[in-house]
Parts: sequence; structure tokens; C-alpha cells
Amino acid sequence: MHMHKFEKIWLIFGVASLIVFLSVLGVSAFHQGHHPSSWSNIIDPEQVDETKPFDEPGLKKVEGKEWDYELVFVASAFLYAPSEVQIPLGSTVKIIATTKDVIHGFQIPGSNVNMMLEPGYIVEYITTLNQPGEFLVLCNEYCGVGHHMMTSKIEVVES
Amino acid sequence: MAQTQKSEIQDEKVEKEPTLLGAFTAVMIVGLFIIITWAGVFILFNQRF
Repeated sequence: MHMHKFEKIWLIFGVASLIVFLSVLGVSAFHQGHHPSSWSNIIDPEQVDETKPFDEPGLKKVEGKEWDYELVFVASAFLYAPSEVQIPLGSTVKIIATTKDVIHGFQIPGSNVNMMLEPGYIVEYITTLNQPGEFLVLCNEYCGVGHHMMTSKIEVVES
Repeated sequence: MAQTQKSEIQDEKVEKEPTLLGAFTAVMIVGLFIIITWAGVFILFNQRF
């Protein structure tokens, strides 16, 4: 088959770009461990308050894990527990969250933390907080009349 | 006579080779746009916590 020289060039260019993109995604998924924030853990949404770790929402120091703290959030119409939390600067935190009633969102604007909380599912996100300041947590899934007031606050403070 | 016909056919073939410089430029512009936007989003993702 006869092909024009330019056709060969742009086909090689396209295939090479595709290989690079997919390799980057593969490394990020299998080597760096990126995965959907909700993928394997389920919970009975009516027993959230009695189920560990959601019986004690808030920040907890943990030892011997890849992260320093576990930050447990319980969402319900129209608030988050805890409503405010302080975290030392530079710590690696695993955010663990779920909802007791309807679908809520969990977003920290300007960051990669953006998760959907569905009844019956536990979402998790591991991140290192290396910027000091106050960060808003807000619900970005319409959940009812109080949706626009549903917020929490994360303060990253120098320890 | 036969030879003249043959050379005419060859000339036609040479003329039918399309000029793809415009298409090539357009493909490369689209390709660069995709790469730049993809890289931009990827860098943003890696810089944020």
C-alpha cells in the first residue's frame, strides 16, 4: 500500500502519543496507586454511628501505616461531622468518609479532593497537606433545601 | 506511439500525488493542542494536594 510521507509521520506521531499517555496512566495507577476513591468498602448506612471508625468522626493519629492521620468524616443532611478540624502542616492524611442519608459531595475547592459520598459506600483519599491555611469542605451534590449551607473547615496549621 | 501513451500515463500518476502540506499542518496543530492541554491538566493534578 502506498502511503504519503506525511501520512506516515502523523500516524507515528498519533500512535506514539497514545502510547505515552497510556503509559503515564498505567504508571500512575499501578505504581503510584491512584484509584477511584470508592472502590471496595461498603457499610450499612443505617448503622454508620455504630460502625468503626465512623462512631468517632474527626482526626486520629495512627502508627505503622503509610499515613500519619486518619480523618473521618460523616456527612448527613445538611452538615459534616466534624464541622471544623485542625491538621498539622506536612502530615499525610487518609480521609475516610461516608453518608448517613442521601448522596452528598465532599470537595475541597482548589485541590484534588473531590468525592461523591453515596449511602452504603465508604470513600477514601490519601493526601499530604503541604500548604498552610484554611480549606473549605463543601457539598457539591444537591442534597436538599440546606445544601448550600453544608460545609466544613479544615485548618492546616504549623505544629 | 505506444511509448508516448506510456509516458503520458506516468505523468498523470505523478500529478495525482496529492499535496498534503495543509492537512499535515492541521493534524500537527491539533496534535500539539491535545498534548499541551493533556500535559497542563496532568501537571495541575500533580501540583495540587
